[in-house]
Amino acid sequence: MKFTCSTKDIASAVGAASKVVNAHTTVPILSNVLLSADEGAIRVRATDLELTLEQSFPAEITEPGSVTVPARLFSGYLGNLPAGLLELTGSPSRASVKAERSNYDFHALPADEYPPLPVAQKGQSFAIPAKRFREGVTATIFAASNEEARGAVLMGTLLELDGDNITLVATDGYRLARWTSKLERAIEGTAKYIVPSRALSEAARNLGTAELVEITALGANANQLQFTAGATSIVVRLVDGQYPNYQQVIPAKFDRRVVVNTQGLIGGLRRAELVAGDRASMVKLEVANQTLMITAKSDVTGNAYEELEVEQTGEDLAIAFNARYLVEILNHVDSPQTVLEFLGPLSPAAIRPLELGEESGQQLYVLMPLRQ
Amino acid sequence: MIVHFDLDAFYASVAQRDEPALRGAPLAVSGRSRRAVVLTASYEARPFGVRSAMPLYRALELCPQLLVVPPNFTAYRETSLRVFAIFGENGRAVEGLSLDEAFVAAGEQLDDAIAFAERVRARVRDEVGLTVSAGVAAVKMVAKIASDANKPDGLTIVPPGTEAAYLAPMPVGRLWGIGPKTQPRLEAAGVRTIGDVATLGEARLYELFGRAGTFYRDLARGIDDREVDPTRERKSISTEETFEYDERDERRILALLRVQADELARDLQKQQLRGSTVGVKIKKADHTVTGRQTSLAVATDDADAIHDAAVWCWERAGMQGLPIRLLGTRVASLTEEKARELKLF
Repeated sequence: MKFTCSTKDIASAVGAASKVVNAHTTVPILSNVLLSADEGAIRVRATDLELTLEQSFPAEITEPGSVTVPARLFSGYLGNLPAGLLELTGSPSRASVKAERSNYDFHALPADEYPPLPVAQKGQSFAIPAKRFREGVTATIFAASNEEARGAVLMGTLLELDGDNITLVATDGYRLARWTSKLERAIEGTAKYIVPSRALSEAARNLGTAELVEITALGANANQLQFTAGATSIVVRLVDGQYPNYQQVIPAKFDRRVVVNTQGLIGGLRRAELVAGDRASMVKLEVANQTLMITAKSDVTGNAYEELEVEQTGEDLAIAFNARYLVEILNHVDSPQTVLEFLGPLSPAAIRPLELGEESGQQLYVLMPLRQ
Repeated sequence: MIVHFDLDAFYASVAQRDEPALRGAPLAVSGRSRRAVVLTASYEARPFGVRSAMPLYRALELCPQLLVVPPNFTAYRETSLRVFAIFGENGRAVEGLSLDEAFVAAGEQLDDAIAFAERVRARVRDEVGLTVSAGVAAVKMVAKIASDANKPDGLTIVPPGTEAAYLAPMPVGRLWGIGPKTQPRLEAAGVRTIGDVATLGEARLYELFGRAGTFYRDLARGIDDREVDPTRERKSISTEETFEYDERDERRILALLRVQADELARDLQKQQLRGSTVGVKIKKADHTVTGRQTSLAVATDDADAIHDAAVWCWERAGMQGLPIRLLGTRVASLTEEKARELKLF
């Protein structure tokens, strides 16, 4: 193979690919990126077998073909090249790069040993604006479990499709994030996919500046999902399993409601958490007389007391939360005012933004309180 | 001298002390779930065959008139603190084994130790309203065996020099470290009593116990210089099992992990502890030991959570299909903090 391209294009594609490569892989070829030259474009691919990223950029191709090069080494080299053009010549055992007045040879591994992309049959597909998709991913995946021992299902994020509706759900069993929005192109029928959250975040991060993300199920059992946006394609292996019935844990209605300034509440919780220390970061919220009181106490550090003016509907309430969990949720609430809804001191509470943007999706968080 | 104190049928006795209507009746302290087990049975329930760790449904079959009360850990903890304060009178070293059991250092003289044990038993009865059995001996294991000899409300004294004779007729399974797996193996080899172990020759000893042989023989002769250690704190709880033949059948290994998780969860619940580290220990056929452990976001005493974590560790230990000699599960990073986290599902 032989091609000429801009150093900036290839550096950016190989740089992104090198981040996918698993540094601890024991399979040598998996530490490499695959470069393929064909039809006026170079495709750069990397995989950790769970997620495969492929990006393409235009180039002048003299001789089509492919080569694999060690990802980290090659990306380090490219990142240190000045802007300009480079010429790459590849063979099964070597990749030679000429740029300005320099000449480098990199040991390569045969490209035909590289894991092939699943060319399996395509299944259901749908599309969503890239910006909206990223927003949904950010709003949910933080709530997924990061405890490997609890299983891949809870470490995943659920994508639920129904006509032109999309719902993203993540939960670790103590808190739950749900985000719903509209698709740009509807799916035929319904579908549910559990995507590893780490891979989903990688996908959202790498989709670049394209307007629209096309999402397509791959494989006979729809066990992979392909995200395509512009010149980037990401294939993610899905989690096989049954997602918990999340709808069941979202209370249908609440009897108490508080509207509070989001940043004010975050600040108060953060300060009180310092006092609460490691006692499960327990802070107490009390609502009475249109006032929210935040308290925490510890034998070691002392006492915390804060007041916030709120808009209270329904009876008074005292409830305790893990401050860290609550702050993490509030940090994702995309609105200056937050609505907190309660049923009682031992029932799940709902947290949602007061104002909903026209374009954006709808956020809902559910958090279990702590026993006092 | 060492005194081992053991409160009699602790949970049940606390319930009967606090609720006169329960006195004199067969009583079990137990949860009410489908898989609940008896945590403690009162002495009135024991003639029916009701024992701790027995499934509740089985206990009710054996004794249909059995009264069942839920555990009240707040009361146990509060009571235990008061009893331990009596154990530790005049700054004595107390090594607590659980809420209802402790070794106490009792000086050099046997007479002083006996007087101390009697005084403690009287004070616990008068001030706390419970009976405590005691064993007095120069060696921990002997004191512990002795405290069990005349339960309930008993005091057993094994004077120094008589330990070997006291232990000799006892079944070999009473020896510390000899579990239900090893006992049949020893019995098959003709070693039935602790006395049999005490008289084993070197070669036979090594054959049966390996390198730990002399330790077991000393123990069987009533020789053990371990002192009461007041700083001992349970940092982890664990259980392990040696396979009769090296095991490579994954189904049996997974089944054992299930049993071990259930056992550890019961132990944690009984002691009102929770742990946030779970690990498995694997001894390979060549006797080298390997293992894996993982941290949980929230400390647990739940059998399923321990089981899931243990299976995860097992799967990552890379021993599938290879013969293993021993498998153990351990829960560490223990905390006494109450479980505050409520779950969505």
